[in-house]
Amino acid sequence: MDSLTRFWTGQEVYIMKVFLPIIIGFVVLFIGLLAVSALSFWWRHYRLWYLGKEENRSDRGALRLKSLLAVTFGHLRFWKELYPGAMHFLIFWGAILIFLGKIVRLFSYPVGLTNPPQSIFKYASFVSEIGGLLVMIGGCMAVYRRYIIKPSRLETKPTNTLIYLWGAVLLMTGYFVKGYRIAIIGGSVVPDWPFWSPLSYLISRFFLILPTEPLNELLVWHRVLIHALPAFLFFAYVFMTRTPLQHFFLSPINIYFRNLKPKGVLVPIPNFEEAETFGVKEISELTWKQLLDLEACTNCGRCQDVCPAHLSQKPLSPRRMTQNLKDHLRREGPKLLTTPPDQRQPEAIMGTTVSEDELWACTNCMACEEACPVYVEQIIRIIDLRRYLVLVETKYSSDIRLTLKNLEKNNNPWGMGRGLRTEWAKDLGVKIFSEVTDPEILFWVGCCGSFDARNQKVANSMVKILQACEVRFGILGNEEGCCGDPARRIGNEYLFQMTAEANIEIMKRYGVKKILTLCPHCFHILKNEYPQLGGEFQVIHHTQFLTELISSGKLKLTKPINKVITYHDSCYLGRGNQIYEAPRKILKSIPGLKLVEMERHHNRSFCCGAGGGRMWMEEHIGTRINQMRTDQAIEVKAELIGTACPYCLTMLFDGIKEKGKEETMAAYDLSELVDQSM
Amino acid sequence: MESSFRPVAIAVEVIILMGVIYSLFLAVKLSAFDFGLEEKYQRFIDWVFMIMGCLALVFFVAHLITFYPRLLTLTLH
Repeated sequence: MDSLTRFWTGQEVYIMKVFLPIIIGFVVLFIGLLAVSALSFWWRHYRLWYLGKEENRSDRGALRLKSLLAVTFGHLRFWKELYPGAMHFLIFWGAILIFLGKIVRLFSYPVGLTNPPQSIFKYASFVSEIGGLLVMIGGCMAVYRRYIIKPSRLETKPTNTLIYLWGAVLLMTGYFVKGYRIAIIGGSVVPDWPFWSPLSYLISRFFLILPTEPLNELLVWHRVLIHALPAFLFFAYVFMTRTPLQHFFLSPINIYFRNLKPKGVLVPIPNFEEAETFGVKEISELTWKQLLDLEACTNCGRCQDVCPAHLSQKPLSPRRMTQNLKDHLRREGPKLLTTPPDQRQPEAIMGTTVSEDELWACTNCMACEEACPVYVEQIIRIIDLRRYLVLVETKYSSDIRLTLKNLEKNNNPWGMGRGLRTEWAKDLGVKIFSEVTDPEILFWVGCCGSFDARNQKVANSMVKILQACEVRFGILGNEEGCCGDPARRIGNEYLFQMTAEANIEIMKRYGVKKILTLCPHCFHILKNEYPQLGGEFQVIHHTQFLTELISSGKLKLTKPINKVITYHDSCYLGRGNQIYEAPRKILKSIPGLKLVEMERHHNRSFCCGAGGGRMWMEEHIGTRINQMRTDQAIEVKAELIGTACPYCLTMLFDGIKEKGKEETMAAYDLSELVDQSM
Repeated sequence: MESSFRPVAIAVEVIILMGVIYSLFLAVKLSAFDFGLEEKYQRFIDWVFMIMGCLALVFFVAHLITFYPRLLTLTLH
């Protein structure tokens, strides 16, 4: 039989009659919500990802978990922008605190924490209050930013407005429920309510205008119908429909399975000889992780804000491409799932969802991947789409056609004769690697250093430095071929593999162990991608090597260069391989040089526009990217632009000419500056 | 003693209730389209929810004016 119990609020209640239905209702709703969530997750997400190809992302579980916890709870990638970072941090941690406080209080009665309220109940109350306050502050910041400031990268849809409104109603009614309860019991049981629930206490003072009995009734109505039920429905809405708030479980999944290799490392096409198709034509040819990327994208637009193609008015926006592909997946995915494999006729991605102009505008600079808070990978997807166009449809511009033809015939993008590869070195006394006694290092000159007039001066400088420091080095001479970067970035994986395998075979034949490169693209591909084809070498970029020579005292820089210099971080050296400080150490070692940083430097550096094969393509749309970067150097009143990449040097050199600043500004490779200072 | 805050209290309750109703209706509408309802039904759904919302508003106002308790004087302490 149910007994009358004096509750801590002063009420005498029949516990079973009052609380049992609430507990049963909660359990039923909660289990129902869990079931709906699991079903919805499987039906609307998991089975779509399952359409994609296999990919192993389960290695190094401990590192993945550590990274997930650091990125999620520390909001590591959010703090690059202070306002949105702080805003999201407040909302996130506020929600966590509300949840923690709520869980303790929800289950407090059965475990004897409530009647009368024990310390932990009061702490939980306080934690919820603070959590609510944080969410309110963060929420107000978010609303102000989205509806008043309206940054161009934010797209506001009805679902965004719904989330803010619903969240505000839940927050307000939550405080009201506590306020009603405090008003009913006063200070008789918990005299220090103002400390444990400051905001609710304040609200409760207004409720003193209600007599006790209506207060009790309003408490029940608000708690059950106006707070608890809408809260459950809110979570049901979040789990069942595709709202932006789904990022709270999609994003951690994506962060966990993120790429742990250096950025921009492409993967070879497996079983090339037997493959029936290459690259990606339709949505199910992406891997499951690439499909997860599409769904995990929160549409925040950070990638768009840093994309040099987008900022120079090209049709490409990484955010827009990802969102369009997400819509494509949601449209085509269910059709593919309900059609037998041999009857499927999926819609092609190119031409319907992604245009060729968008695809070819990408410079592979990785700024989008660096900026993305949930680690969406864009580069590999773009290259996969290029591979299909290039290898299957042979659909590309005449610039690309010529470049690929030159690479195939003469093993360099300019199409110059192979025998001319060592012309630059003929009077320098440079030896071929096989003729050097006990060589320390192979100097991989690269196509730019070998054939491009401006960059041959860089190769000259490097040779002078190596000879001055008595480094035992050699070059491959006419046996050196293009590293394969242009072919691979354009999408001609077949040509890349042919070129790379030939280079690997030559280097293995000569027993090459350590390679010094002038070019970050050669550096990146030799270090990170040649191992995929069996070429395991120790690869060092010339800035790293110069830093070692300076630190060891072998290289002394005595002649001053009294100029103001700014350093342009090249994408494949900086973002691709995290080499930021070695070049700066070199510049700081040169007497007289004053280093100033452009606004976008280090991992936020702005691309010169030549990556992703674009060095070999004309720029027909929008502003020229190299001119934008030159403008940034002009803004900081630099007299010199230092760089460590032949592509960047070419683009910035051209940029200075196009801006008419040759009298006041010049671009140099760091090795040239070291040569001048020796 | 009766307080003159009764209309204010009723207005606050109505705003909260209409906030809940609006959120629920908008959620139902967005969910329907997310689950595949065609765009051509958008205007129809908008009208239906607008009418239901107005009815709810009238009901809440009438119900609260009739049943909302008489209030005491507000003294903050």
